[in-house]
Order: sequence, then C-alpha cells, then structure tokens
Amino acid sequence: MATSGVWPMKEQSITDASLREFLLGKLADEELELVENLYLTDSQTRERVLALEQDLIEDYLENSLSEEDKERFLARYADTDEQRRKLRITKSIKNWAVTEATTTQATAASKVSLWTRLRLKPIVVVPIAVAMALAVVLAIVWLNSRIEKKKHFAVEQELALLNSPTGVREFPPRMIPLELRPITVRGAETPPEINSRSENRIVELFLPWIPKERYPAYRAEVRPPGDGEPFTIPNLQAENDDGGYKIRIRLPSHSLRRGSYRIQLTGISNDGSASPPEEYRFSVTD
Amino acid sequence: MARDSAITLQNFEEMLAWLDPDREVAAQQYLQLREGLANVFRWRGCSDPDGLVDEVFERVAKKVHEVRPNYQGDPRLYFRAVANNLVKENLKKAKNQVSLEDIDLPQPITTKSDEDEAADIEECLQSCLQSLNAGNRKLILDYYAKEKQAKIEHRSELAQQLNTSVQTLRVRVYRVRLSLQECIEQCIKRKGKYE
Repeated sequence: MATSGVWPMKEQSITDASLREFLLGKLADEELELVENLYLTDSQTRERVLALEQDLIEDYLENSLSEEDKERFLARYADTDEQRRKLRITKSIKNWAVTEATTTQATAASKVSLWTRLRLKPIVVVPIAVAMALAVVLAIVWLNSRIEKKKHFAVEQELALLNSPTGVREFPPRMIPLELRPITVRGAETPPEINSRSENRIVELFLPWIPKERYPAYRAEVRPPGDGEPFTIPNLQAENDDGGYKIRIRLPSHSLRRGSYRIQLTGISNDGSASPPEEYRFSVTD
Repeated sequence: MARDSAITLQNFEEMLAWLDPDREVAAQQYLQLREGLANVFRWRGCSDPDGLVDEVFERVAKKVHEVRPNYQGDPRLYFRAVANNLVKENLKKAKNQVSLEDIDLPQPITTKSDEDEAADIEECLQSCLQSLNAGNRKLILDYYAKEKQAKIEHRSELAQQLNTSVQTLRVRVYRVRLSLQECIEQCIKRKGKYE
C-alpha cells in the first residue's frame, strides 16, 4: 500500500478517447490509476469524465457501440434498477429534443407552404381564417389551463427540492430569513412583509411550533393570494435550538405574487394522523 | 453508511479530519468521495459498488490512526489505493468462485412496470423542463436535437456559435442535464411507485 499521495498531474495528456476507454473498463493499470486519481481529486476531470459518460450513454441508446463495447456498457450501466432508470431518463430527454426540433422545422416549412397556397385562392381565405381564429382562441384557453397546471407542478417540484433534507443543508447565496409567528399568538398584528423586487432568490421562513406535542414530520400548505391552488411541502423536520422549536421552509422568490399568503402547518404522527394546524401569515409587496 | 457500524465514532472523526480540518468541507469531501468511489467500482465492473465503498471506509477508518501521521499528499489517493486493492481481492475471489448461478445477466430494458415508469418519466420531464430557465432549456434542446453522425457536426457548430470548445460545451450541458436528471428522479420518487 502506498504511503504517499504525491503523484504527477497529467490531466492535459488524457484524451477523450482514453476517458471513454476508462469508462468501459479498457484502460491498462498505469493509465487507469492516473485517471482514477484525477477523477477523485480534480473537480474539472470529474466533470469531464461524467460529461463523457453521458455521451457514451447516448451512443448506446443510438445503437452506435460495437458488440464488445455494448457488452461492457451493459455490465456497468444497466445492472441495477437505478442505472436502468437513468438510461430511460436520458432516452426520454433525447426523444423530447429530437421531436421538438423536428416539429419546429416542420411547422416553419408548413407555414411557408400554406401561405403560398392561400395567396393563390383569396375566396377560400375568409372562412378558413374565421375557423382558424376560433381554433386559436380555443387552443389558447386550453393551453393556458395546461400551462397553469404545469407551472403549479413545477413550483411544487422546486419547493420539494429546496426543502428536502439535502436542500435545507445547503446555504445558497441571496437567501433572506424571516420569522413568522402563529396567528393565535400574533393576534391582530400586521403580518411581516417581503418585497418582491428585492434581489433575494430564496425566502427562508422560520415557523415556531407552539403546541407541546412534537411530531416526527410536519407538512406545510402554502396558500397564495386570491383563489390560487395551495402548494404542499411534505416531510419537513423541526429544529430545536436556542431560538426554540421551529420548522424551517424555503420559498423561491420568483414564485411569490403580491398579496397575502397563509401557511398552515400540521404535525404528522408515525401512523399518518395529522395534528390541528397552526396558521401563519405574511404578505408580499411590490 | 450502511456498514459503518464497525467504525468507531473516534475513527470516523479522525478520518473526516484527515480529509479536511474544516468539518463542513470534510463532510462534503466525504460524500463526494463516496459517490466517486462508487463510480470507480462501477466502471471497474464490480457488482455492489455501494457495499464496496462501505468496505473501503471501514478499512481506512481502522488504519487512519497509524497511516495519517506519516502520509504525505492528498488523502483521497489513499482511499483510492485501498479501493484498488479491494477490486483485486474481489477479482481473485470471483476467479475461484465463478459458477453459472453467480452470473448476473443484465435485465432486459423493457418490462411492463418499466412502461409505467416511462410514462411517469415523460410527465416529470415535461414539468422539470419548465423549471429550467429559457437559455438552459434551449441549450439542452439544441445539444440533443440530432442523432448519430449528424450530431457530431451539429455540436461542433453549436460550440462555434457559443464561442467555446466542444469539450466545454459538453461539460456545460452535463451541468444542466444533471439538475434536470435530479429533478426528474425526485419527481418520480414523489410519485412513490419506484422507491
């Protein structure tokens, strides 16, 4: 076993072709050691290797690998459920991009040809235009409702990521803390305000939990102003420090609209039953 | 740390301190090293990479007290050397023990439940694409727009347009792609079917 971790840095001399061989387990010992050492200690090489791994996955999905490489690939990249899911995700992204690119090209081409034909027969234009306008209006209404649903889902995704156990351990820049108090304690006081035009990217809310009962997990329901659909953040953990027993939630600033927000916080027992909710408020101003 | 119960708290703390004197940095390095070593085992064709990573940390933790004072250089290279020994030991074992029952053939990529999962991936992809900013979404779209031979030329043109090299473009796309992948995986897990 070596007792020294000093060795020559030769990152520049490693070609993409060598890294590809590395990823397929084809490198000889000396070069293998060099690449593995760099991969584990140098962030640039690490990213370079992982980016090339994506290219290799693509080549497999396009059936561009030789039989021998395909066999090596499958042993390394399709052995577990998790790996196979990663392959499917890559396939899905590729399919989306190819379809989207093809559709864009086809739409551009059909616009030109339709316009050319219509110019030749002006009598047909009026009824077609009316029908098209109607179709466009209906499509816009339908699309808007889909877009709203997708936006809501996207914000919920972002909330889940920001408030996951890994997410809350990170401390990203441009995050502003704000402590709220339960409405029962605060009474008729004006709720704290957040300025939507500030440069902050994330608002971190501290919600003190006043009831004596403690729960293994908490769920927050964030109700935006008006009749907007609430956002749910499950599996929140409480923190107990000098400042008391609190639950921390993070909201992305871009998702906040002007108006009054309500948060309902509920303790969730091991058997899944929910406690009576505690309510908090804050408002967003321009 | 599936098998870290064999590591004493004192050994574990010393191992972390060896990685970096700052505990926060050491914890980050520890997690990164775990992930890195798991990939190394996978690329070497080992089955159960996570189990082998546990074994590496267990071995290093047991020896850290005697190795650390005289070791020079980046400690992560010591972990890699231990991992390398472990791969060789495993190869030896495998040579002595191979039987048809031990051979794990890769599962076929499409099964019925896989089709359900594919539908979920599709739905999650659409929502996660919304969470990317317009620039990054376009970058992914452009990068993956072509396939096979056409993609090589296409990516070279794209790199030129962005005034960068193909290699840098690849890493740039990898970063966006990683966040997209993480978003999709979280989304699928939240659907609760595949945990």
